[in-house]
Amino acid sequence: MHHATLWCVSGELICYHLVLPFIDEILRYDSLSIVGLEKNTGKTECLKYVLERMPVQAKRIAVTSIGIDGETVDQVTRTQKPEICLHEGMYFGTSEMHYRQRRLVSELIDVSDENTSLGRVVTARALTGGKILLSGPSSASSLRRWMNDMRRLGIDLVIIDGALSRMSSASPAVSKSMILATGAAYSANLSTLVSKTTHVVDLINMDLTSEDNIALLKPLEKGVWFIDKNGCLNSLDAVTSLSQDIHFEGMEDCATLYVAGALVDGFLEKVRKNKSLKQVELVVRDFTKIFVSPQQFRLFLKAGGRISVLQKSKLIAVTVNPTSPSGYVLDSDTLCNKLSEAIKLPVYDLLKNKD
Amino acid sequence: MQLKNAIESPCGLRFMLDQLELQSGFARRWLLNSPMMTSSEDIAASYAVLQRFADFVNRVEPLFINTLNHKLCGLKDIRTTIKNLYNHAVLDDIELFEVKHLALLASDVNKLLDEHGMSDVVVIPSLDKVIAILDPDGLKIATFYIYDSYCAQLKDLRSQMRQHPKQQEDLLIQASELEDDVRQDLSRQLHPFAAAIEQAQLALAQIDVDLAKAIQMKQMGLAFPMLSDDGSTRYQAMFHPQVKAALADRGREFQPVDIAYGEQPTLITGANMGGKTVVLKTLTLCQLLFQFGFGIPAASARIAVKDEIYFCIGDEQSVEKGLSSFAAEMQNIDAVIKASRENRKLLALIDEPARTTNPTEGAALVTALLQVLANKDISLVMTTHYDIEPGKARCLRVKGFENGSMDYQLVEVQDGEVPHEALNIAQSLGIDSEWITTARNLLEASGQTA
Repeated sequence: MHHATLWCVSGELICYHLVLPFIDEILRYDSLSIVGLEKNTGKTECLKYVLERMPVQAKRIAVTSIGIDGETVDQVTRTQKPEICLHEGMYFGTSEMHYRQRRLVSELIDVSDENTSLGRVVTARALTGGKILLSGPSSASSLRRWMNDMRRLGIDLVIIDGALSRMSSASPAVSKSMILATGAAYSANLSTLVSKTTHVVDLINMDLTSEDNIALLKPLEKGVWFIDKNGCLNSLDAVTSLSQDIHFEGMEDCATLYVAGALVDGFLEKVRKNKSLKQVELVVRDFTKIFVSPQQFRLFLKAGGRISVLQKSKLIAVTVNPTSPSGYVLDSDTLCNKLSEAIKLPVYDLLKNKD
Repeated sequence: MQLKNAIESPCGLRFMLDQLELQSGFARRWLLNSPMMTSSEDIAASYAVLQRFADFVNRVEPLFINTLNHKLCGLKDIRTTIKNLYNHAVLDDIELFEVKHLALLASDVNKLLDEHGMSDVVVIPSLDKVIAILDPDGLKIATFYIYDSYCAQLKDLRSQMRQHPKQQEDLLIQASELEDDVRQDLSRQLHPFAAAIEQAQLALAQIDVDLAKAIQMKQMGLAFPMLSDDGSTRYQAMFHPQVKAALADRGREFQPVDIAYGEQPTLITGANMGGKTVVLKTLTLCQLLFQFGFGIPAASARIAVKDEIYFCIGDEQSVEKGLSSFAAEMQNIDAVIKASRENRKLLALIDEPARTTNPTEGAALVTALLQVLANKDISLVMTTHYDIEPGKARCLRVKGFENGSMDYQLVEVQDGEVPHEALNIAQSLGIDSEWITTARNLLEASGQTA
């Protein structure tokens, strides 16, 4: 709240207009995950920024983290790992260990049965503002269970501090919206950074497939399947797209090809090179299931291939941290403009806008 | 033996546990650690409790059971906390929360059970004083923190914190010292209730287990057994729930079987596919269910208590361990013979012993086994395909293949002569006719008929 006031006084009206819609948009969803493409891309700064601006009087907000490393100092890069500042009234999920280290007054609401390396996950409500180290459920499925518990408590919005370079918490199966943090730590070369980030954004923004396909394919949790031109579902005798001996014979009337698990390079290449599959729509569950290189992905699209998803989450914004942990700094404005141009979405340097 | 050891028995006990709708992980662990009962008194007492729950499940609204189950869902394993309480340790907020949560849960469950006159079946000690200690404002909500009302000074510090966020760090340090004093005081007050808290936790687990068993009895159509006092066991319309469910999936029905055995050996013969192995599996399952206090899959049952139960069946696992199937089987049966020399009541269920060796030695081994075990204090039920001299053994035979379908009923016969139906059954399975005809010709040539 203090920062918001300071901002207006300092007269940065442009930022005010740019940034507030992004907070408003977050409030339209019941869940948000913040994912960093690399350590030190400003994921935690982004989380702090969002938390500071949440209307705690009007909305019940809960925050947790997934796949935490559990140290106050980042073990890999030795940079300080910040504590998160919560407002009075916010709910949070953290490990027993970090709960004991809390620096605020809070009321315990639940202790889960699930163990993480830092103890069980504890849910509490802040009775004063203050600082807390966040660590939470350790898998996407236990995170989903925790989120369901929060819904039962009447929580309006769950904010997840996502794992670094692991997208599972940003899966649409977990959270409805996301913010992506990228920056010089991901690549110190401006054009490489822009192209690598654009690839991720393209995956997140892939189109949804048709309603009919969603209804037909959503229950299928494994295997490779195809829908023929008459709308009939057929199984391909392959457990995953990794299988070596996938053959596409007798699939001339295939309209949609569905990979329930991971989509990998080899499979995508086979589909691209198969003449009878030229008009096929390739469907995956969601963007977190795509493990193909940007090159293969682009080749596939260039050859006229279509690829879509069963579920998608809304990418609300991309934030950048132009400073790499080694100290190298990219020009913030150039980075924001170039990236924004490439992904057709607003890009924010939160540290710069905060000044 | 604990339930967790018995669960791997190939008789299908795991299926029964998987189908048991337990609400809490703690109750499941408590159940898995429960010992097999070997005294009639314990078994009778356990069924008396289960009977009350079965009546309860039959007479109350399903919605009420749901409410109760929903409560039991909240049962947590707080044994570490209870141990700390016994040891005069100062509990932290999480532990105090756990104690309060359990105390409120115990009180809620007790109230629900009391509404239907069930609070005397498994007695939950009253933890009202514990609640009073941990709920100073009388909110009756299962949340916890070091409440302002524990300490006026603490309350004051916290309101200063809210007014002066900049001084929060200093104020938090001061407050944490006061909080520590409160925790120490609360732990001291709670210490005398450690045993009651522990009992309440166990009582809730037992309620969860008995309620789940009662619901399972209703769902699967299980029966309360009578305790046999003459060493004999008798089932009417016995069935195997897992096999029954598998058949039902394929639109087929399980044919229940009547069977009785006593302290003399019982030999079951019968055609292939006559369900002999399923009978042995079910007998093993029923005996285990009985001694762990579950409902019995039969229309009625009268069961003798045993000290040990042996189920010997040619299993794949021993082959995986590198033993030949013959060696594994011999070792299993060897254990039965050794155990039979000690003064314990045994039940041994042996499926086609020595089946993998040549018929001459195989038949000799089986006949000898019958003779060796006939004089021991053991109830033995054994299946075989060998033509052997039954001696003192009672012989049961599967009725068998009649008019194109299998009749799984068991009938008592005077000798152990095995039915010769293998070729007919193979033929009905559509097995290659050249093979079957050749076999038939060979039998005829040797003067035997098929």
